[in-house]
Amino acid sequence: MQLLKKTITAYFIFSVILLLVSIPVFYWTLKRLMVANVDENLIATKTRIMPQLLDAAAGNKEGVLRFPGSGYDILFEKEGARKETHPQQQAERKTDSLYNSESTDSHPGSTLPNRLLASHFYINQESYSLRITTSLADKYLLIQRIVLVSALLLVALLVGLLVINRMLTKKIWQPFYNTLQRLREYRVDRQPKLTLQPSSISEFNDLNTAIEQLAERNYQVYSSQKEFTENASHEMQSPLAVFQSKLELLMQTKPLNEDQAALITDLANASKRMARLNKSLILLTKIDNDQFIEKETVAIKEILQKLIQQYEFQIQQQGIHLRFQDAQDITVTANRTLVEILLGNLLSNAIRHNIPNGSIEISLQAQDRELIIRNTGRPSALDTQKLFQRFQKESPDANSIGLGLEIVKKISTLNHFSIQYHFSDQLHSFSLRF
Amino acid sequence: MKILVIEDEEELSKSIVAYLKAENYTCEVASDFRTAMEKTESFDYDCILLDISLPDGNGLQVLKELKANHKTDGVIIISAKDSMNDRIAGLNLGADDYLPKPFHLPELSARIAAVIRRRRFDGSSVFTLNEFTFDTNAKTVKVLGKPVDLTRTEYDLLLYLVSNKNRVVSKNAIAERISGDEAEIFDNFDFLYAHMKNLKKKLAAAGSEDYIKAIYGMGYKFEI
Repeated sequence: MQLLKKTITAYFIFSVILLLVSIPVFYWTLKRLMVANVDENLIATKTRIMPQLLDAAAGNKEGVLRFPGSGYDILFEKEGARKETHPQQQAERKTDSLYNSESTDSHPGSTLPNRLLASHFYINQESYSLRITTSLADKYLLIQRIVLVSALLLVALLVGLLVINRMLTKKIWQPFYNTLQRLREYRVDRQPKLTLQPSSISEFNDLNTAIEQLAERNYQVYSSQKEFTENASHEMQSPLAVFQSKLELLMQTKPLNEDQAALITDLANASKRMARLNKSLILLTKIDNDQFIEKETVAIKEILQKLIQQYEFQIQQQGIHLRFQDAQDITVTANRTLVEILLGNLLSNAIRHNIPNGSIEISLQAQDRELIIRNTGRPSALDTQKLFQRFQKESPDANSIGLGLEIVKKISTLNHFSIQYHFSDQLHSFSLRF
Repeated sequence: MKILVIEDEEELSKSIVAYLKAENYTCEVASDFRTAMEKTESFDYDCILLDISLPDGNGLQVLKELKANHKTDGVIIISAKDSMNDRIAGLNLGADDYLPKPFHLPELSARIAAVIRRRRFDGSSVFTLNEFTFDTNAKTVKVLGKPVDLTRTEYDLLLYLVSNKNRVVSKNAIAERISGDEAEIFDNFDFLYAHMKNLKKKLAAAGSEDYIKAIYGMGYKFEI
């Protein structure tokens, strides 16, 4: 879900930043607006109560003048006679100063925020001060509530968007994942056609069509190549047969001297190699074409014993010490011919690439369902990368055609056996797990 | 003895005919399906070599017709396709043998000889050649009436050379004959020399002439 995660992560980061920035900004803006509003009201109140103040001043009521019940605490005081006009005081006269103050609450320790308008002015040469106070506590509470509700709404909105987006994306990309799954399962040598589910999204339909066409073209290329190998190796059989038969007729000609006989022998050997190479290629195409359908229960031990018997002369000839750990048998369900070829190739390799007076150790492990063939040979490991590829021979042996291990690999893959190569203690070992 | 070679590859049929001549067989060639049908309908043959893939038909059809007409010609299928299905189909239809291409001419000759022996001697599996008496059922050989104790391989080897008498049989052909696929894996004729040495020793001990000649390391010849 890499793609899903990626888009959603971008949305998520944006949402969090937006939330973190917008809520304080919103709070601060609201507070500014509220304070401006309160200030306007304070000034309006001052203007409103001015006639009453003038009355109060005319009545010569000194001290505190209160207007209870208006929501404002108004304090009107006479400060004294007018002093000499001072430029600063002159200026002060006109100014109303607005500021925050705090008053003690009924709860000890906490304070309540207030907004205060302080004003100084003169009536009949007398100096008065006016202080109008209003509580901000309620308004702050209101702002907090508004901000909280807005924040909750915003969070809900963003979460909702994210969830919907995720669901929608998942749904939209579903055909893509379906296609991907089918592509993973697709094997060009098994299915001639790849059929993908149609989607309601045209881009995915285009993609599916393109992939289907690609698969079809691939299959065509694959099958024509397969056909070519098949035909080529079959067509080779006839000229090979002609070549071999003519050589054998040539052997009958008289007179024949030793040089000619040697040349004919070399040709015969080359023709034999060609025939063998061709036979191996045909075997490979047959495996590819699934022409070994018949399966039966095959006992590995029995086949190995038969092979050892068959190769006995070669084993003795090279002075190879063969040890066959005669443990419990393993049986597999597979095509007998193929299993015989598989084991025959492994064993004959162990003999052919061995050293004089070397050793071969075959062990059958019924518990692990594993066959291990260890043999002495050249003192360095084989290149595991190239080992099972065709025509990657590491041996200078002209008799080796470089298809043996490819055949081993093909048969193993076909039967879901795993084949592995190790080199340790100067021993080459092939382990085959059934 | 009459042999019909049904084979579309002209050079191959020419080789086969040339090789079989030494055995005093009369060979005829049919290079397509039509000719093959005509010849098999009109004449009887001791052995028919039948290529399955003909340009104008399937060789198995020739075989079917033969069997439908209750003909007793021996049939050896020679096929470029060494497929199990063809082999089984051919043998089920009543072919006597199946030989995948490319084959060794001595191998073909030996198989023809075996087919003819089976058909000619009507149950009797014994034939003689100079001082040798072969019993192909019991797989035994007698020299001057006395049985020679040969191993299975040595017997096969002798019979193979006898089937190709007076012709050079290459080491490859012999190796393939006596050890099958193993010979393909090991390019090593030591086992062949060993068997040959033992065979010659046993035959000499039984009082036979030395017919088996090595021809320059190229092969062997049973010379009579």
